[in-house]
Amino acid sequence: MRKVIICALVTLALTVGTAGAATLKIGSVSPLAGPYAADGTDIKQGVETAIAMWEAKGGIPGYDKIEYFPQDSGCDGKQAVSAANKLVNLGVIGVVGAYCSSATIPSSDVLMENKVVMLTPASTNETVTERGYKYMFRVCGRDDDQAKVVVKFLTEDLKKTKIAIIDDKTSYTAGLANNIIKFGEGKIDVVAHEHINQGDKDFSGVLTKIKALKPDVLYMSLYNPEGNLMAIQAKRLKIDAVLLSEDAVYHPNYIKIARDASEGTFFTFGQPADETIPEVAAFLKEYTAKYGEPGSYSAYAFDAANALLAAVAKVGASDPDKLADAIRATDAQGASKKLTFNEKGDSGSTYKVIVVKDGKFVPYWDPDTGMKY
Amino acid sequence: MRKDLLRWLVFVVWALVLLVPMMAPKLGFDTFELDFARPMKLVGMLALAGLCVVAYRAVRGGKEHKVRAPRNFGIAEKLSTPWAWAAAGVLTLSLPFWADNYTLDIAINVLIYITLGLGLNVVVGLAGLLDLGYIAFYAVGAYTYALLNTIYGVPFWLALPAGCVISAGAGAFIGYPTLKMRGDYLAIVTLGFGEIVRIVLNNWDNVTQGPNGVLGIKAPGIYIPEITDGSLDFVYFYMNKLPSLYYVILLIAIVTIIGVQRIDTSRIGRAWVSIREDETAAELTGIQTLRYKMLAYMMGAVFAGLAGAFYAAKVRYVNPSSFVFLESALVLCIVVLGGMGSIPGIILGAAAIIVLPEVFRELELYRLLAFGGAMTAMVIFRPEGLIPARRRQLELHIEETFADEDDDA
Amino acid sequence: MDIFLQQLVNGLTLGAVYALIALGYTMVYGIIQLINFAHGEIFAAGGYIGVITLAYLNHIGVLEQYPMLGLVLAFAMAMVYCAFLAVAIERVAYRPLRGASRLALLLSALGMSIFVSNGMMLAQGVYDKAYPIYMFPQESIEVGGAIISHMQIYIFIVAILLMVGLNFFINHTRLGKAMRATAQDKTVSALLGINANRTITITFVVGAMLAAAAGVMVGMYYGSVRFDMGFVPGIKAFAAAVLGGIGNLYGAMIGGMIIGMVEVFAAGYLASEYKDVFAFVILIAVLYFRPTGIMGEQVDDTRV
Repeated sequence: MRKVIICALVTLALTVGTAGAATLKIGSVSPLAGPYAADGTDIKQGVETAIAMWEAKGGIPGYDKIEYFPQDSGCDGKQAVSAANKLVNLGVIGVVGAYCSSATIPSSDVLMENKVVMLTPASTNETVTERGYKYMFRVCGRDDDQAKVVVKFLTEDLKKTKIAIIDDKTSYTAGLANNIIKFGEGKIDVVAHEHINQGDKDFSGVLTKIKALKPDVLYMSLYNPEGNLMAIQAKRLKIDAVLLSEDAVYHPNYIKIARDASEGTFFTFGQPADETIPEVAAFLKEYTAKYGEPGSYSAYAFDAANALLAAVAKVGASDPDKLADAIRATDAQGASKKLTFNEKGDSGSTYKVIVVKDGKFVPYWDPDTGMKY
Repeated sequence: MRKDLLRWLVFVVWALVLLVPMMAPKLGFDTFELDFARPMKLVGMLALAGLCVVAYRAVRGGKEHKVRAPRNFGIAEKLSTPWAWAAAGVLTLSLPFWADNYTLDIAINVLIYITLGLGLNVVVGLAGLLDLGYIAFYAVGAYTYALLNTIYGVPFWLALPAGCVISAGAGAFIGYPTLKMRGDYLAIVTLGFGEIVRIVLNNWDNVTQGPNGVLGIKAPGIYIPEITDGSLDFVYFYMNKLPSLYYVILLIAIVTIIGVQRIDTSRIGRAWVSIREDETAAELTGIQTLRYKMLAYMMGAVFAGLAGAFYAAKVRYVNPSSFVFLESALVLCIVVLGGMGSIPGIILGAAAIIVLPEVFRELELYRLLAFGGAMTAMVIFRPEGLIPARRRQLELHIEETFADEDDDA
Repeated sequence: MDIFLQQLVNGLTLGAVYALIALGYTMVYGIIQLINFAHGEIFAAGGYIGVITLAYLNHIGVLEQYPMLGLVLAFAMAMVYCAFLAVAIERVAYRPLRGASRLALLLSALGMSIFVSNGMMLAQGVYDKAYPIYMFPQESIEVGGAIISHMQIYIFIVAILLMVGLNFFINHTRLGKAMRATAQDKTVSALLGINANRTITITFVVGAMLAAAAGVMVGMYYGSVRFDMGFVPGIKAFAAAVLGGIGNLYGAMIGGMIIGMVEVFAAGYLASEYKDVFAFVILIAVLYFRPTGIMGEQVDDTRV
């Protein structure tokens, strides 16, 4: 009997001891250098903000501190796989990332094999959550949902259907463009589908060609730096089509660089932060104080990290299956949207249409209700 | 001493001019701040480091110190004792048993780049043809396996020779119009071909899935014997875990090493070297230079194809963004830093180039900066490479007599 | 027709920028047979210093009153800065390698390119920096249906002026003659009392100043600069220099124009996704039939 008691005491002491000294390790994989470094840095800062806010609240029960390992992946599968392996070795329990779908897909294979939870704040390619992985979650929307919203907006609200599309032939932008053409068949008239390269600065050739076709709408399926430049050049060439674009171009820089050329541009974007919601306001306050205005993925990364940390707080991190279940059961107001996950790990899309008005992003149209704000 | 101090002063002025205008201003969109602390700290550190060098020279007696690579002839020969070979063999073979996944992943990458480096070495080191688009063949190999496997279900070991043949074909196709050109013209044309291959892969949507890349590639598989109910059966086993993949690439790398070693010392290898040294003279001695140059291209492409097919099988996903110019530059870097024409040098070079950025991973943002700086520094301090090929080193030191007229203006 | 004219204007503008960068490549190549990969980064640095100068002038309130003076100052600052930068790069990364293998030199240049572009990223951040172009006149004129903005005209005029100035410098000044002599034969020109190292440094300085001017022009025309903006135009300008015949100044100008035109017309009339392919195919085709480029002389076929 005495033996049993001693054993029990030792076990208790050990568990208390380890619990007391435990460090919670989480990681992120995003491009911190190279052409996507701006968005990748936003993701890192979003995660940091979430951690800072948990720590300000007294941390996560059962853990002394949260250790965070941001990893650079570029937009490259090989680098992302290395980064994922490194994070597995460090013993992280969850990863926020990656940014490009082409980095997320191969690196998630590694993480899933090692039962590490992954929440992507930015990869919208359908495949990411279509592979039946239990530990894979997506906080942002999906390409196909966004394309449907675009078609709906063109036909129902804007009522302009003669459209020219430009993408930059990356997996995200080309996928979106193709989905729009697919879902818009018979409803919209695509007069041109052109391509540019990332890193280009001069789009005058393509734009002149498009100008001659006189489209009503110019859809820019691009990333931010090219989107800024294209808006300027479209205005300079006096193309009088309505500019419509997506979440990868949506960034405060767009307005500040394109200035008057940005006026009147429509965007599809996951619910623009309604600053009156207390959770959103709290995020904005914390983030802005430290890093300035948030980019388009800051809030998603924040929500991803938050969902992970909240789940850990609920069930601990020792059992990845329980952790994944806890994340799947998430039901909370986040900084980007009201966050819930379905069976596949998708959190649903909340694409709304917003417009640049007087140098500000303003909510414009809600595709679910068909109402203007 | 006075000259040194003067130089130090120039150095500090230069650092001030370069760092202050770039680092001090903080540009917001409508705001402008000047923060001199940041650049001045860096300039101060640099100045201090410079002062240390000056002091060191003064103590040493102010003797002019020329940076020259030490003449370590035959370092490879000295190292290649039976014991060293045995130790290296045991270490490489046993790696999966004691290393963690991260180390293993890096080791696999190192082996891929050893294969690539040795392949490019045939083109650049032996035949002396500057190739800035080598990664195109790697892409061809990777896509060959990816497409054969996902569309027709061809297994890895069958796709491997197919990848080699198609890569060699691509080598011949690219080689034919380019090989008439010489020297640096070849550089830009190969760079152009590398870009063309990538752009075509990115746009040929029906076949290559464009930028989405090819998903669902199977890992290499082998039949392993298994005894069930007393009868011998062969079970198909997918080698999708890192340890087994490690052995596959190790096999490929060893085949490559042996292959390149044999070619190097063969008649063909000597013909290449003679083309590299003097194409006109080689032609006069009866070597059909065009044919041999083409052969060099094709051989180089074959090894890249091997590495590419393995890459596709390992990552199980290929897309065009893995085959950008920077990758070509990386492989070239391995060949030159390791020592052109030197097999042990290239092995070491590949290890250095792949492991260095991983070490710098801790530095996050400073990673590429440090990589670029280290690249230049290594070339300057060891222009012949880490382990120079003997033949080549002798030449370089003859040229030095001409280089030494360098004086500080 | 108006579309054709518009594309012609677009092509000329882009070509002028490529030509200015290509001149730096070709001059450096002519004198030390180095493909100076860091040249694209010098172009980007010029763009950065330009935007910093303009932002500073805007901050102290001068820009609003004298926008043109501000622009001239931006050009001057960028050119001076890039001259310093080029000298530093030459001294640190290329001079110790004089006489080493060409490939070692090439790699050193590549290392410098990565180093400088990431240095700029660390100094100024990953986001684009906006040129205050709204402070400058944005009018345009219409000629036969083609819209030509004033900025395009300025770019063209400045580029032509710089090229004419360069031509004068090379052909009619002592330094220019020294440069040509050194490019022809280092040993003989050294015997004649020309300091080779100084001449090489001056070549780098002149090339860098042209690239800096191109950097500011690109910033003013396209509206923003970014730390990695040097790489792609660098490669294109390099292709342009080779197309024209590397080492030949007129070749670089013509090559730049051709690459700019091909790109714009390919995007406008053929398939836009393959525009870079067309540029490279033209390059390969020209080199196949004229292995030394359009204006080139026999290139030195020493080994790499």
